[in-house]
Amino acid sequence: MKTITMLAAALAVAGFAAFAQDAEDPFADTVEMRHGLMLQMATDLGTVGAMAKGEVAYDAAVASKAAANIAAVASVISMAQWPEGSQYGAAADSYALPAIWATPDDFLTKIADLNTAAATFQVAAATDVDALKTGMGALGGACSACHKAYRQPEE
Amino acid sequence: MRLLGWLLALGLIGAGGLWVLARPNPLSESDVAGLTGDAVKGEAVFWAAGCASCHMAAEATGDAQLVLVGGQRFPSDFGTFIAPNISQDPTHGIGGWSLLDLANALKRGVSPEGQHYYPALPYGSYAKLQMQDVADLYAFLQTLPADATPSQPHELGFPFSRRETIGVWKLLFLTEDWSLPGNLTPTADRGRYIAEALAHCGECHTARNMLGGMDTARWLAGAPNPSGEGRIPNITPAALGWTAPDIVAYLTTGFTPEFDSVGGHMVHVVENMARLPESDRVAVAEYLLAVPSVE
Repeated sequence: MKTITMLAAALAVAGFAAFAQDAEDPFADTVEMRHGLMLQMATDLGTVGAMAKGEVAYDAAVASKAAANIAAVASVISMAQWPEGSQYGAAADSYALPAIWATPDDFLTKIADLNTAAATFQVAAATDVDALKTGMGALGGACSACHKAYRQPEE
Repeated sequence: MRLLGWLLALGLIGAGGLWVLARPNPLSESDVAGLTGDAVKGEAVFWAAGCASCHMAAEATGDAQLVLVGGQRFPSDFGTFIAPNISQDPTHGIGGWSLLDLANALKRGVSPEGQHYYPALPYGSYAKLQMQDVADLYAFLQTLPADATPSQPHELGFPFSRRETIGVWKLLFLTEDWSLPGNLTPTADRGRYIAEALAHCGECHTARNMLGGMDTARWLAGAPNPSGEGRIPNITPAALGWTAPDIVAYLTTGFTPEFDSVGGHMVHVVENMARLPESDRVAVAEYLLAVPSVE
């Protein structure tokens, strides 16, 4: 009986702690969502990247699926995942720079550029390994254009 | 008392000697005699050396990267350096320069007027450039547009505002010797030339001592970011932990082995390296893996 009481108390404390954390950091879910999108992107890039590096044999079907996933994730990205205030230094684990909200039109342009690059890459990935290698350069350029302007460099 | 007088006299002679030694030491006409530049080859030198990354307007893209108007700001421990106009404008740029003027700027850090440049212009690395590459670069620069925007003065505090201090810096640190000495394979040797001379990797990836000289004992082992935030990573083999194909892919696409993407000033470097033939990126990878690992 005593054990159950203590367990209930512990659960209540844990539940309150989780609630309190959310209350303190309104952007926790937002930042986690952003990182999830990027991680999905990295996973699919890993599939095509291994082919580009010659670590695994080129497979048009597998490459096409990964490229389609990349395009799908790119299409999800919008200002909705970057609410104002969720920046580096303010929201935990965030590397977003305030420049996003200073020049939102440019941020949205870079998202549009990513979608264009992802669409081009879908064609390249389905063609052959040379096209895939070249295509990764353009896709990487779209990623880093945004990261250069709007992401705080890590340690 | 007499001893003190002698010491003072010796000190003055020493200071006078240092003053003489620290004067600008330009090349002469014979160093560039008989050289003919090739603008096509010079374009490869231009991108490999990263000229536009610092001398174009901030955030310039496409053809605007070839307008070398200056104006980008580079904070450091010594003050803020502002990249000058090096477009072909004869007054505000370098349109009136001879090949010797360019060679002196890049290899000796000396202006056409015989004044020291600050080593924010990375002549600590460019000193290792082959003279033919300077001639090719000169030919390519002459094909670029002119822009009449005046250069801005650097924002430096005393004593660094005194250019005499640069002469002492040069005496201590300016060398044409390789940081990774010795015989390398032809591929790694080419990589050494790109990494140490052209792409001047060590300027950011090697820590500096109190006087602003690169600590070559910890070559490419990382350094505080001069902007004050974060660190520039250690890229010696064990610390980086990347394979040659990883390095080549990164310098081509900007993707790390974990498929994070490049950020910060390194974005420029990847854009520049991606313009070179793949064999050059392979060469840089082989060189980097030959550098001693530093924890």
